[in-house]
Amino acid sequence: MRVVIAEDAAMMREGLVRLLTDRGFEVCAAVADADALRSAIAAAVPDVAIIDIRMPPTHTDEGLRAAIDIRRDHPTVGVLVFSQYVETRYATRLLADRPTGVGYLLKDRVADVADFVDALTRVASGGTALDPEVVGHLMRAGQDMAGLASLTPREREVLSLMAEGRSNAGIAAALVITPGVVEKHVANIFAKLGLPSSETDNRRVLAVLRHVSG
Amino acid sequence: MSNDNGLMTALRAPFTILALRRAVFCVAGVVTAVAVLAVPAIVPGVGVLILWASGALSEKPAPAVAPVFLVLFPLTIALLAVLVVPIGRAIGAVHRRLADRLLDEHVAAPQARPGWRAVGYCLLKVPLAIPQGYGVFCYVFGLVNLSYPVWWPLFRNHPPGTILGPVWALTPFGRIGTRTLGGTFLIAAAGLAMLLVAPWLMRAGTMLDLAAMRRLLGPGRLAERVRELQVSRARAIDDAAAMMRRLERDLHDGAQIRLATLAMNLGMATEKLGADGPPPDLAQARELVALAHRGAKDALADLRDLVRGIHPPVLDNGLGDALATLATSSAIPVAVNVELPDRPAPAIETIAYFCASELLANAAKHSRATRIKIVVARSGERLLLTAEDDGVGGANPDGPGLSGLARRIAVVDGRMRVHSPAGGPTRVKIELPTHV
Repeated sequence: MRVVIAEDAAMMREGLVRLLTDRGFEVCAAVADADALRSAIAAAVPDVAIIDIRMPPTHTDEGLRAAIDIRRDHPTVGVLVFSQYVETRYATRLLADRPTGVGYLLKDRVADVADFVDALTRVASGGTALDPEVVGHLMRAGQDMAGLASLTPREREVLSLMAEGRSNAGIAAALVITPGVVEKHVANIFAKLGLPSSETDNRRVLAVLRHVSG
Repeated sequence: MSNDNGLMTALRAPFTILALRRAVFCVAGVVTAVAVLAVPAIVPGVGVLILWASGALSEKPAPAVAPVFLVLFPLTIALLAVLVVPIGRAIGAVHRRLADRLLDEHVAAPQARPGWRAVGYCLLKVPLAIPQGYGVFCYVFGLVNLSYPVWWPLFRNHPPGTILGPVWALTPFGRIGTRTLGGTFLIAAAGLAMLLVAPWLMRAGTMLDLAAMRRLLGPGRLAERVRELQVSRARAIDDAAAMMRRLERDLHDGAQIRLATLAMNLGMATEKLGADGPPPDLAQARELVALAHRGAKDALADLRDLVRGIHPPVLDNGLGDALATLATSSAIPVAVNVELPDRPAPAIETIAYFCASELLANAAKHSRATRIKIVVARSGERLLLTAEDDGVGGANPDGPGLSGLARRIAVVDGRMRVHSPAGGPTRVKIELPTHV
């Protein structure tokens, strides 16, 4: 799997290159700013790009803007935006048109290598990876909605994991329950929230996010 | 030493740009005074003009003269009365601009438009023109008189036996005349004396004028103070916001990224060690742990620097200890001398400390100095901090570093003076109140 990395902190960039190479990814380019990222994407057209939000020159959101451009210009390239803090607004901007091949994670998540690599692979193959922090924010924001209030604690957990972009199997593994039980929870959640069920993982993430973010 | 300096200053004074600028300002002052004096003459002048034009001054006045005069004359006076305030304003505005351009003295425009106060200033221009006019007179004729011995030989081409009238020269004490070369040297001596006196006369004239301008053209003192406070409050708010931003940035780019990398390395090491049993890749795990270890130490160092930047703990022991500690971390040797009978307010100590810290950092970056002296003393209710180096000078008070300091100092009504000619040395004097 081919990856491009855009991260301005050299330490972190080198660490990521090492981690991904070690895990069998092919790192096509590791760059330090948004312009270099754009040209690297155009040149290599990787499966996925890891993009830091704050990069030179303005250190604000150039990474995010580049990510949005890349999603528009290269629909086949998965985009994993990562940052030291999460902004719900950024997440909604990223997911605005389609929730496929996109991720938004805290940098802290690289500490759990397996989870991080899993999220990256998911994004590369067209899936979604949202940070639990973002999902938490969205859930809290949507707390007042009638549907959410009627969920059981277990169903909330399942909903959060769904919103993060995990598959039924992933949810089952995370909660240590059988896939059958997960399916039952999912059906209940969709019924309570009034969402059309029997959708693919991606579409259901979108449905869930649209629901909780109003 | 200081006497020599004083003498040199006095001798040089007439030949500085400042003297020339003051001369221009004084000339403008005299012209204004003449114009102001001319105003009262306008009314009778216009009256006479009307009488003359209507034929009243001729032998047989036309019958329409008296009514025309009766109408036009009051009209002229009324017009003058109406125009006096706008004219006063205009003259005031011109002088405010002149002071700004020529003397680099900024008199703030008042919030309300100046009216009768500006007219008062215009009237004051008349007495003010006396020292100004004298100054310019001495300046110009001092130079002229000084040149007499040079001109003298040029006029010595008359046939022998010709009796010459005396050559006249103007001085403040009247005309003096001479028929001999020796006499021209006397005139030159008088010229030199005039030239030396001129700068001080012009200075007195401009200073008095500026004082009048501040009183009559500037905003009232209370309004001025309110404006100052508004500006310094805005600065304080900006400063606090900028500081928070810098802090966030430092944490984001420093300790936070180091810790994230450290966590990543430990995560990778954990994988290399495996869940249980013999580790699959011990060598790599060891390397990663070593990397993480170093990262942790770097993060600690980063945080330590950051914490010291927020508030150096040693400052709690007083400015003396804090500056002494600061001096030890400077690349250039620093001599610190703090003589304070008691401790100033904590906020003042903090500002003084950061000023010293910034000045040392500046010196290390730009001055190429070999030693720096920092003196902190008390003068009445003010704390004086002086930093002096033996470097190449050329520090720019409007640069980001020094102007930032000036802003911080201004918040507590302090002042900073930077003396840093090209070639050095640099001396920065900072004055702070001892209590906020």
